[in-house]
Amino acid sequence: MLYKRVLKLGLTNFWRNRWLSLAATLVMTLTLIIISTFAIMTLVISKTTDSIRDKMDISVYFNDTADISQIIDLQNKIASRSDVKEVKYVSKEEALVIFQGQQQGKKVANLIDASNNPLPRSLEIKGTQPEYLDQIAQYIGQDQFKPLLHNVSYQENKVVIQRLIGFTSFLKRMGWIASIIFVLISILVILNTIRLTIFTRKDEIEIMRLVGASETFIRVPFIVEGFLYGFIATILATILIRLGVVIITPMMDQYLGIDLSYRMVSFFSANFLLVVGLELIIGIIIGIGCSLFSIRKYLKV
Amino acid sequence: MIDVVEITKQFPNGLKALDNVNLKIEKGEFVSIVGPSGAGKSTLIRMLICEDKPTSGKILVAGRDITKLKPNELPYYRRKVGVVFQDFKLLPQKTVYENVSFALEVCEACDNDMLDKVPKILDLVGMLKRKDNLPHELSGGERQRVSIARALVHSPKILIADEPTGNLDPVNSWEIIDLLERINKHGTIVILATHNKAIVDRIKKRVILLKDGKVISDRVKGGYVI
Repeated sequence: MLYKRVLKLGLTNFWRNRWLSLAATLVMTLTLIIISTFAIMTLVISKTTDSIRDKMDISVYFNDTADISQIIDLQNKIASRSDVKEVKYVSKEEALVIFQGQQQGKKVANLIDASNNPLPRSLEIKGTQPEYLDQIAQYIGQDQFKPLLHNVSYQENKVVIQRLIGFTSFLKRMGWIASIIFVLISILVILNTIRLTIFTRKDEIEIMRLVGASETFIRVPFIVEGFLYGFIATILATILIRLGVVIITPMMDQYLGIDLSYRMVSFFSANFLLVVGLELIIGIIIGIGCSLFSIRKYLKV
Repeated sequence: MIDVVEITKQFPNGLKALDNVNLKIEKGEFVSIVGPSGAGKSTLIRMLICEDKPTSGKILVAGRDITKLKPNELPYYRRKVGVVFQDFKLLPQKTVYENVSFALEVCEACDNDMLDKVPKILDLVGMLKRKDNLPHELSGGERQRVSIARALVHSPKILIADEPTGNLDPVNSWEIIDLLERINKHGTIVILATHNKAIVDRIKKRVILLKDGKVISDRVKGGYVI
């Protein structure tokens, strides 16, 4: 009975102040879009950089004169290091298969065959973090292993790898920082908008208090409105983000030349409920939170 | 019924709006509180409706010290005390009927109760035929009647009016005072704060004169004397 009345009051207020409600809802929609876009972008960036980082490795090529037992010994030594994720031995035969796979259809592919195979045996080493590759390379570079080694790929790629490491961690960090800044700005904007809607009704709040309305009774309609802002904004934001993903990402692909749209679309459809659920929770928390925060001032005796 | 005991209100800047005020108001009394602007009338009213707390002293209403009410008890006190202001404080987007029923709505009254009470109260203040009008369609006197109706709809034991005639012409003012006197005849305590000499002189009821936060005189059938 009382709840019905309070609920009705909240809905009526939302409708009576429809322009302000619309403004608050749209600002909330914008907030949610910004938060979601940045969250998705950051996730995509971090997935992309992860996959780039995952590709970084060291290849150690051995002289044909090196004894297989020595190679296996070295492999075991490297594998036992805590900073090494994976060590893979590539035999001459495997190297040939890989080489022919890479050069398929070209004349070079037929230049060498199993009987005349100049490709060296190698170890492919991945660190638990790409940052550790440097120290792993130093370990392999010790004098005791020198006679075995033909070549270590890391020395050639060192500059590129280190630049990539720096770039990817920079991208990740910037993504998170930008998200946080934008989320804070959005929350301030939405807070101000809701404060405005409550400010226009401070007389109503005062009158409610003077005629003996309990604090709960005064608060609940505003909570209902805050909930509505969040709820409607979630629906709008979801539709707009879905449209945005479909329309904008192919353009981004053209400019950036990476398979971003595929990642975005697949991420979005795979996590649809999660995205909507999070938006709803964030929207409602911001809506109700800002309402409660703004009304506090007018409830003081 | 109301017992104001040694109330002092000092503002942070050192100004004493009320200085050791003592008052006793019995059931069914009609009390005018008069005094020039800045005498402390409004401060005293604010204390009585619990909008503000005194620096020291206590206010007993029906034996209960209202300066010590907890925030969650306050609404229940406010429902026992009707308040009327100079600026009416009506909700502009609600009709006359809605403005009055709103006071019951917020107090968890049931619908039947509202349907029963609101027309009766509107009839009492003579506003029943304008129940569907919005406040801006009414004259000042009519608006004040609506705000009195709203204050009365809880059937309060005490009606406090802070300069209710401040915005009204003499004829309308007198009609409002007449209404307050009729309400008083039904047994409700009426506390009227005003600086309108003509009104106080004509009421011929108890007058309390405040000046610089002190009670200067308290006479049973006084006029307005400074």
